[in-house]
Order: sequence, then C-alpha cells, then structure tokens
Amino acid sequence: MDRPGINSDKLKHETNERSKMSALPQHKAQVSLMSNYRKNASTSSEGRSLTQKQPNELNELLLIIARDKDRKAFSELFNATSSRLKAFAMQCGASNADAEELLQECMLTVWRKAHTFKPQSGSAITWLYTIVRNKRIDMARKGRHETVQSDDLWTEEGGNYLEDDVSSELEGKAARKLLKVLPEVQKQVVFKVYFEGKSHSEIAADLDLPLGTIKSRLRLAMKKLDNVAKEQMSYG
Amino acid sequence: MANYHPNDELLMSFSAGQLPNALGLMVACHLDNCPACREKVKTYESLGGDILAECEEVEVSSSLLDKTLAMLDTVEENTVTSALFEEAANEKLSSIPKPLRRFITKDYDDLEWTGMSKSIREFLVNIDDDQYTTKLFRIKAGHELPEHTHEGNEFTLVMSGSFSDRTCDYNEGDFILADQSTTHQPRASKDQDCICLAVMDAPLKMTGVFGRMLNPFLR
Repeated sequence: MDRPGINSDKLKHETNERSKMSALPQHKAQVSLMSNYRKNASTSSEGRSLTQKQPNELNELLLIIARDKDRKAFSELFNATSSRLKAFAMQCGASNADAEELLQECMLTVWRKAHTFKPQSGSAITWLYTIVRNKRIDMARKGRHETVQSDDLWTEEGGNYLEDDVSSELEGKAARKLLKVLPEVQKQVVFKVYFEGKSHSEIAADLDLPLGTIKSRLRLAMKKLDNVAKEQMSYG
Repeated sequence: MANYHPNDELLMSFSAGQLPNALGLMVACHLDNCPACREKVKTYESLGGDILAECEEVEVSSSLLDKTLAMLDTVEENTVTSALFEEAANEKLSSIPKPLRRFITKDYDDLEWTGMSKSIREFLVNIDDDQYTTKLFRIKAGHELPEHTHEGNEFTLVMSGSFSDRTCDYNEGDFILADQSTTHQPRASKDQDCICLAVMDAPLKMTGVFGRMLNPFLR
C-alpha cells in the first residue's frame, strides 16, 4: 500500500472510490451485519461485545495479556473489541479489506505492547484508540521511510509520560463521559475531525453551514471537554 | 516552561492523528516539554476512546482471530530488534527533540546551514508533506530577521535560545502562529543564537526595502 500523508485527500479519495464499488450502501450493510453480530455474540460468553463488557474487564484482560502472554485473554479481548476497531477504521474511510488489515495490525500491537498499558493513566478503550489511530497513520505510509510515522509523533511507548501518571489518575474512571456532554451538533463536528481530519472550512462546506458556525461549535465543544476534564481532577 | 501553546483545535487534530506531517511533528516537539498541553491531549485521546466505544459494530471475518493468533509469535521478534536499533542510532543526538531525530540527523552545530547572511542561516528539513515546508532558522545572537508578513500561516517553535518581537518575548518550547495579519521583525536575544523550527504553508513576503532584497534567499 503506497498512500500519502495523515490527512491526505488522495487517501480519502481512493478509499471513497473503493467503497463506492461495494454492492450495498455502507450504512445499510452495517446495520444488518450488526444485528447478526449481536445474535452470535449472545450465544457465547467469550464473545461478549464491548457494550456488554465492563471497562474494568478490558483492563483486566490487557493486564493478563501483559503478564502471562495469555492467548485466551487475547482471544477474549479480540472478540470484545474487534468489531468496533474495524468500524472505526471504516469510518476513517478504509475499505472492508483495509479495515481488517488495520484491525489485525492493531491486535498484533496489543499483543506486543500490552505491557505499556498503565491502567492508572487511562482506560483500556483509550489505549486501544491510540493504537488504532497510530496504525491508521502507519498503514497509509507503509514502505515510505522519509515520511512521518506514529513513532515519531508519539515517542513514548503507549503515549505515556511517567510524570503525568499521578495527575491523570482519574482519567480512566471518567472515560466514556466526555462524548455524552456534547450536544448532537457539536458531536457531528468532532466526528469529522476524528474520522476525516477535515479543516474547518471543509467541514463547513460538507455540512453547508457558515464557517463561523463550525468554529463556534468546535470551540464550545472544546470548552465543555475542558470543563469536564477539570472536574475530574478536582474530584480527586 | 512554554508560555505560548498550540490552540485547542490543533491539539485535538493532533490527538485524532489528523494533522499534516510537518505540523504534527512540530506539535509533538512542543508536547515533549509541555505538561499542560500533554494533559489536553490526554483529554482528547480519551474522547477518541469514547468515539471508538460508540462506533456501530461491523462484522469481522470469522477466520481473522485464528489468523491473528497464528501470527503472534513471529511478530514479536523482528519489531523489538528494529526498535532497539533505531534507538541506539539516535541516542547521541540529545539536543534534537525526539520527534525530529529521523529528520534532523546531526546536532545543530554540525548541520549544513545555508543562507546569504552570516547572521541568518537556514536549514531545510526534509519532511514529506504536500502542504507545508519545514525549515530551521538560526538567528545569530542580537541579530534580527528582516521585517516580514506572511501570505499564509507560519508556525514557529523555539528550539533553543529566545527571540523577541515588537510585543512579546519567546523562549524555548514556545509555539507561535503567525498569519497574514502578522507583521513582525523577530530579534534573537543578545546572549545566544536562537534556533527556531518554522512550518509554513506559503513563502514569506518581505515588507521592508531590505526585506524585498533578501526575499529570494529566504525562500
């Protein structure tokens, strides 16, 4: 795969072209696949998905993988998270095949780097997020040594800085609250930043809204997130 | 500790892994020395975790788990060795921030600086980026850059030393955004050379007479 940079339009363009070729509209396909998945998931206790797993269970699994290199724990983590990691990749514009390759890369990294997961500095799902984010960057740059890779951007293993661990001890506990504080219109803009890497003016064009509206929505979202983060600290 | 920081939008895009190459590296260099911004990045990464958790599930090929399990052992060996190799190669470059060590492979004093004047030197950093040019500028102690404004955005990170503008003093780690509305004439402090990393999306536009003369050399 030889694709350019982090927010490259070419990448988006290529993947858009590719997804246009798939027979089913992506959204419909996702919905029907999802209900299949849920049926399957409920028949096996190990196959429980993320929604049914407590965040602590994911933490536990990661710690077991790190400590014992336990394949059963790895399989359980795979079953609990793979469908969402793949969905994340697809939201970023990856085709079905690329999304599975990315998912596999992520899970191999989980196996290799589980020891860098520190529950006191963040939740398991946030740690997994940083892995899928980094792998997406690296897959787009495979075989291009002169270009930026995720290891250049996040030089500490797992993105953890030791001296920060204490101050953000509560981050893990409050995970999954951030998104909830945002109203739909702000979420929509934030999703575009995370999945599509769009600039403010591109988002404005996409949503057919004035640039000022996008900027103020994003600014309000930032402010809310900042407040929530500060609250978390003060409850410590 | 830095007094000037990337704005929240930049930090969010960074946390989303969506910044253009050159800008991403620059933010990474700032983060290296800025716990306050690292804290914000953690919040935005945690938001990323939320977003991942909320993704609508899609079906994964039933064979993928077995295929992945079969690869677990092979993967471990080669990646560990290559990481060690890279670390050893770059360990001695302590003055270059880690994010830039693959792109600036010598210490500042050993770089092949160019430029028409002895007091302002530049070094083009070869980062693959469609949108931005990346350069190091080295301003001799007490000297100043010709007055200039910008056709596009210019991001500056103070790597070593300090410089002052009409209104402000900037020190190591400071992250500054100049745009079309900014006209400035940065002057390095008297005690030491100032080295800055500049990421710009358009060539500098010189405003003074002296500036126009210099312009071609600064491109």
